[in-house]
Amino acid sequence: MIAKFFQSRGARRFRRNRIAMASLALILIYVAIALAIIVGDLLTLEDTMDRVGPANLPGSWGSQTTEKRFEDIDYYLRQVERALYRRQAGQIIPRRNPEEALKELRLGSLQAADHNPVATRKRVDEAVALFEELEEYEDLDAEPEVLPKLEELERLVAAFYRPAGAMGGFSRWLELSGGTDRQGRSIAIRAIYSIKVAIQVGLVTAFISILVGSLLGAAAGFYGGWIDHLVIWLYSTFSSIPNLVLLTLLAYMFTGSIFDGTLIPIYVAFCMTFWIGPCRVIRGETLKLRELEYVQAATAIGFGKFYILLRHILPNTAHLMFINFSLLFIGAIKSEVILSFLGLGVKKGPSWGIMISQSGQEVINGFFWQIGTATALMFGLVLAFNILTDALQDAFDPKHV
Amino acid sequence: MAILQVQDLVKHFPVHGGFLGRVISKVHAVNGVSFFIEAGEILGVVGESGCGKSTLGKSVIRLLKPTSGSILYQGQELSTLDHQAMMPYRKKMQIVFQDPYSSLNPRMTVHAAIAEGVRFHGVVPDTEIDDYVQRLIVKVGLQADAGNKFPHEFSGGQRQRIGIARALALKPDFIVADEPVSALDVSIQAQILNLLMELKEEFNLTILFISHDLKVIEHFCDRVLVMYLGYVVEELPCHRLHEAALHPYTRALLGANPVNDPDDRRPLAVLEGSVPSPFDLPPGCPFASRCSERRDECTIRMPPLLSRGKQHRIACYAIDPITR
Repeated sequence: MIAKFFQSRGARRFRRNRIAMASLALILIYVAIALAIIVGDLLTLEDTMDRVGPANLPGSWGSQTTEKRFEDIDYYLRQVERALYRRQAGQIIPRRNPEEALKELRLGSLQAADHNPVATRKRVDEAVALFEELEEYEDLDAEPEVLPKLEELERLVAAFYRPAGAMGGFSRWLELSGGTDRQGRSIAIRAIYSIKVAIQVGLVTAFISILVGSLLGAAAGFYGGWIDHLVIWLYSTFSSIPNLVLLTLLAYMFTGSIFDGTLIPIYVAFCMTFWIGPCRVIRGETLKLRELEYVQAATAIGFGKFYILLRHILPNTAHLMFINFSLLFIGAIKSEVILSFLGLGVKKGPSWGIMISQSGQEVINGFFWQIGTATALMFGLVLAFNILTDALQDAFDPKHV
Repeated sequence: MAILQVQDLVKHFPVHGGFLGRVISKVHAVNGVSFFIEAGEILGVVGESGCGKSTLGKSVIRLLKPTSGSILYQGQELSTLDHQAMMPYRKKMQIVFQDPYSSLNPRMTVHAAIAEGVRFHGVVPDTEIDDYVQRLIVKVGLQADAGNKFPHEFSGGQRQRIGIARALALKPDFIVADEPVSALDVSIQAQILNLLMELKEEFNLTILFISHDLKVIEHFCDRVLVMYLGYVVEELPCHRLHEAALHPYTRALLGANPVNDPDDRRPLAVLEGSVPSPFDLPPGCPFASRCSERRDECTIRMPPLLSRGKQHRIACYAIDPITR
């Protein structure tokens, strides 16, 4: 049966469509990443919260201003200082075991170099002196003697750290390639983790909506009578409520309940409105199919209505289910982003919507890495799915030649 | 003895509309049709599109529930039976459809389509189903490996053979053939008709053969019912079709058939006007508006279907009552 499907005319036509195959590959990559996060424990929620660098570190393709370099050095230097000294009641007290503290010092995958605490302390004092000297300048860009001093300071600070090994180096590169947000969290890690949220919301809502929608639609179209009236009444009522208002209302309703903070409120809100599309389409298709002669032949044999619905009607609406599935998938991802942007969607952990809404202030200051990364990843997924939907429609819908 | 006796069969389709979906009008598809079929006989039903011949065929095997009238099959009244009680008769009465492209489920293999009903009715023990279906596939003239293929891999004629195999698989006594050759090429039509004839002899079938093609009816059937707008206007034996036909509508149908003679260039007899609306039946004979021999009484009352010799009944005031 499955082998037959892959050899069917529709599947062959689909395989010939190069762009569609490319977008399918891209979608599979996204899904693989999501699976690796969910099943393979590639990233945990905590990873996305870890501070990996100074605030608002530009991404790999960003340029650094003098002020920004100065701020970054300040951040790294403070990390070392914190490992060596401890503030208590306004007094600065050396730590009792600086070796241990230095070993724990970790910024992303950049680790503390091998240290002699005494030498390190000396070097910290040297760096702090240089730092304070630089702080004297009012405008860092304007003074010609600033740059050599800054470079010397950077060398000093860099000596505290040792780049991680091959794998660690790669993940370090990955973590910082998108830069960091205002809390110093890796944008790349957060954006990648958001794939999991998006795919989860997309798959679950699309699956449930298709299931509910096609069963209701097929039953309404096939049985007619009061079932039809009921289903039509249901979807007319639901579709007359503005989508976003309903979603907002539901999101508020779930606030404070035991499901608060999980994805379940989002699933419920989306499934309540998303089943309407497939329900309409499949009801229409069923109205057409039930008059076909093979359905009458099945009646003439004596099969019951439910059997005919299951065996002869539903399988023949499968192409519509496919197409609607990918449409709903995109719809769910986009709505999730919108809802999270409004602060009603994902509560714990990152989502592209949250990232975009957070980046509002940053963009004004020239840090577009956060909004850029989130949008680029979302754009890739949505575009690939749109192309896939189109290709599916071309390949499997007999009316769409 | 008559295997099927139909008396005053009426089928109306309500048309819903307006506020709260009231019944606003009715399609009068079949308006009091009576006939019988002897066991082993082939009864043709002929008429133009929309005259109710398919509705008649589907009502007889209870694909549609008749509005009124009686259907006696082997002495059993079918018109009032429910789904369960109908079950034994479902096995005995089957149907072959017109459109070979919509009569097969595109997602079921040929074998699955034929075996479905066999298993449901337990026609043969479960272990023998595969063999049984395979024999049927070969019997209707399909290739032996056809069973594993899907309908779209076949031509129209081959699909019609599959449809026939599906109907025959239940070992029925009675088959409604609802325009089984109308959608096929002429050469294929002959093949399918010959196949039906062979199978009729072999399985001892009784057939209600619906068609709009008088030539096919004449070739294939024993008797023919001529229908017009839900009424039977004439019933006559096929071997005397040309000589015996008296009703103006039957004669018009015969006249509209091209003659097998290239030198005969007379213009074909064409009926003027169009069929009255089945929503709003005229009083009297439905054919009156187009009839060349219309009398005054034709537009007042429907003429009764009266016997006019052996196997010949006719409903027309214009036919001389003395010769009746």
